[in-house]
Amino acid sequence: MLRNVFLALITLVIAFGGGTLSAWYVVTRFDGFGALSIGQWTSHPEAGTPFSDPYAKARAAREGAFPLGSTEGLAFYAYNDDQGRTLDRQCSYKIEGNSPNSRFWTLYATDRRLTALSPGTDRLPAIHSRQIFRKEDGAFMVSVSPKAQPGNWLATTGTGRMVLVMTLYDTPVGSNSGLVDMKFPAVTRISCDG
Amino acid sequence: MGKLLRALLFSLVGAGLVHIAVVLLVPYYSDRNAWSRISAYGGDWQFHTVAREGTPGNVPLAIDPLFQAAACRFDITDLPAHITGVGTTPYWSISIYNRQGENIYSINDRTAIADQLDLVVATPLQMIELNKTKPAAAENSVLIEADMDEGFVVVRSFVPDDSWRSQVNAFLKSTSCTPLL
Repeated sequence: MLRNVFLALITLVIAFGGGTLSAWYVVTRFDGFGALSIGQWTSHPEAGTPFSDPYAKARAAREGAFPLGSTEGLAFYAYNDDQGRTLDRQCSYKIEGNSPNSRFWTLYATDRRLTALSPGTDRLPAIHSRQIFRKEDGAFMVSVSPKAQPGNWLATTGTGRMVLVMTLYDTPVGSNSGLVDMKFPAVTRISCDG
Repeated sequence: MGKLLRALLFSLVGAGLVHIAVVLLVPYYSDRNAWSRISAYGGDWQFHTVAREGTPGNVPLAIDPLFQAAACRFDITDLPAHITGVGTTPYWSISIYNRQGENIYSINDRTAIADQLDLVVATPLQMIELNKTKPAAAENSVLIEADMDEGFVVVRSFVPDDSWRSQVNAFLKSTSCTPLL
């Protein structure tokens, strides 16, 4: 008798505990299905629209963000460098290559909740495609580092993981016409201070 | 042994059911979604500056640091919403969201008529009326049909550097969001 009660209790605890914990974990960590990945950059063109899946909907309801519409722009996130290591705010990276077709783009570093890092006074919180130096062929190189760098420098600050966000504005990338040249810059680690 | 296995099986199935129920219910019971963020800014039918830091109970907003935004919430059950703005900025865009914070329509300055922010959000029924007789105030507006009651719009503008800040702020200040009579 006591054994049956005990088994029933265990069952209930696992069902509710496991169900709630796994749901919480997925809602805080998982971005939803339908990711568009190019190199190290990932995007969710359907996130924040009525066509997104239940996980993306649950996550959006917890973040309370105002997702960009398809004619506004599309944000791409880089969590790792080209070796698959997670991005660290104390390390220096270079972002080199070309960008897909768009009117302009912005690039900034965020924490894991995608809130932009503030690099301190008199430092730019983000860089954009209309202010950077380019090579003769139109390619560019951006240094992401906590220390001052020559050329295009995106300052970072603090410790811990970071996420790089490149948002393309007024871009045809999200539409699946297949006519878009998907060139994305590569993220390479140069050195680490820690 | 058989009893233990059966209990384990039941608990796994139960965990699956609870998981699905929680994920599906979160959008309806979340108190820190986009709607609660926007309600904390102030009353409806007027534009409020979108703040980066989180209001109490809300996490900081994930928004591009080079953008300034303003938001207005409305209810188009009785009257359509008329959204206007005057000014020149390097880039602006506007999104219409439903009560759940889902982006249902967006335009940018190039897709707008004559680069001017002037649009009307109406329910399908109001749209029939608007197509019959367009009010003089909405003569050049972009008409958007949205099958919803409560919703909100977010206007955002690019600030390439600080020299543009005053002009972008003037544009966002000029935005208005009124019921179309």
